[in-house]
Amino acid sequence: MKALAIRHLSYRYPDGTAALDDVSLSVEENECIGLIGPNGSGKSTLLLHVNGILPERTQGESGVSVFGMAVCPETLPAIRRTVGLLFQDPDDQLFCPTVYEDVAFGPQQFGESGDAVRSAVMEALERTGLKGFGARSPHHLSGGEKQRVCLAGILACRPRMLVLDEPTSDLDPRGKRELAALLQRLTATKIIATHDLELVVKLCSRAVVMDGGRIVADGPTVELLSNEELMVKHGLEKPHILQHSHPHTNYPLSPDHG
Amino acid sequence: MRHDFLDRYSRLSSPIHRLPAGVKLGTALGLVLTIVMIPPGALWVFSLPAVVLLATAAISRIPLAFLVRRILFFEPLVLGIAALNLLRPGGGRIFLAVLIKSTLSLFTMILLANTTPFHALLRVFRSAGVPPLFITVLALMYRYLFVLVDEAERMTRARSSRTFDRNGARLWRSTASVIVQLFLRSSERAERIFAAMTARGWK
Repeated sequence: MKALAIRHLSYRYPDGTAALDDVSLSVEENECIGLIGPNGSGKSTLLLHVNGILPERTQGESGVSVFGMAVCPETLPAIRRTVGLLFQDPDDQLFCPTVYEDVAFGPQQFGESGDAVRSAVMEALERTGLKGFGARSPHHLSGGEKQRVCLAGILACRPRMLVLDEPTSDLDPRGKRELAALLQRLTATKIIATHDLELVVKLCSRAVVMDGGRIVADGPTVELLSNEELMVKHGLEKPHILQHSHPHTNYPLSPDHG
Repeated sequence: MRHDFLDRYSRLSSPIHRLPAGVKLGTALGLVLTIVMIPPGALWVFSLPAVVLLATAAISRIPLAFLVRRILFFEPLVLGIAALNLLRPGGGRIFLAVLIKSTLSLFTMILLANTTPFHALLRVFRSAGVPPLFITVLALMYRYLFVLVDEAERMTRARSSRTFDRNGARLWRSTASVIVQLFLRSSERAERIFAAMTARGWK
């Protein structure tokens, strides 16, 4: 079964701006995909369709299906449970007064109670290295900690698919390293929209390039990202770790990226 | 970052801070009610709640200077309301009573806010049967107040770094545009927060 199947999806914002233009994409279970492209290319808009936040009014099917479920008003609760969506600005996502309550928000909304919520929260905090952070307020955390709390809040819902919008944009190099390691340990289907091309090389075996609301390239990460002409044409660049790659395989020479 | 301008000392450790939030909330409300009910004729009676409040403040180890500054910050509002009484015949006494009453009530609430974390108060509201929607609104307000203040501060700083003269009219105009921007950004943020809540199952 496909984890995600998008067929001929187009979308216009209410003000008339065209954001997606006939997008088709299919993702296998446990695949990790890097979604790249310049600002305004439609990456975030596409991600918002994956768990049915857009379009605001769905009539029937939207052309998106997740693990065989078509995204429509009836399947929304199940879809939102299956897909964990991480937003770009942690302040938008951490809306509860304490870390514990925030991580517990998802499980509670999905109708769990008492010990089930507690154990889900504890497990999520432990997996994200946030043990003992439960009583802290979000506004007393650093950027990296906020981002990990957001991730914990999603993991607590035990999703099968993680959809991440610019997860490293607000992080310092250490925060980026830690987040990359954390994501690498998680087994789930992952879709990562980002400008951080090194992260894509590190985590994703497949890359999808978007520009102007369309998918313009889709293929193995190293192959696409080494294609300097393609990268520059779509406002990207050949990442540094691919500058020194094996002449025949194109794969990076350093052992931990091989 | 001034994310603690409201309740900087709410996380201290003192006998007062360790009291259950419900007890503190109940006492504070009771005290305010008592202060309001004291007839304006007997001004000396107000020394009783004042002594209670001062003693609480001393035990809670909150610096007195901080409390005084906070009270002075809100005092203009109180004065504005109290001053209206001066226009009435014999209003001087009423003015004094209103002034003392509101200052003491203010003192009580500032003490409560600085001895009890806000989320603990929300938990008391929840168990007291306050409607969940109301609590959610309060929680969101408290959470994003700090984000908003940070944003306003950044914008004001950016503006002053590009302001080269102190021409009154121009200054007012740019203040207005900061306020407009802040409003637009907040409404956009509200949309994103709603999306984030929906994504985690909010109905």
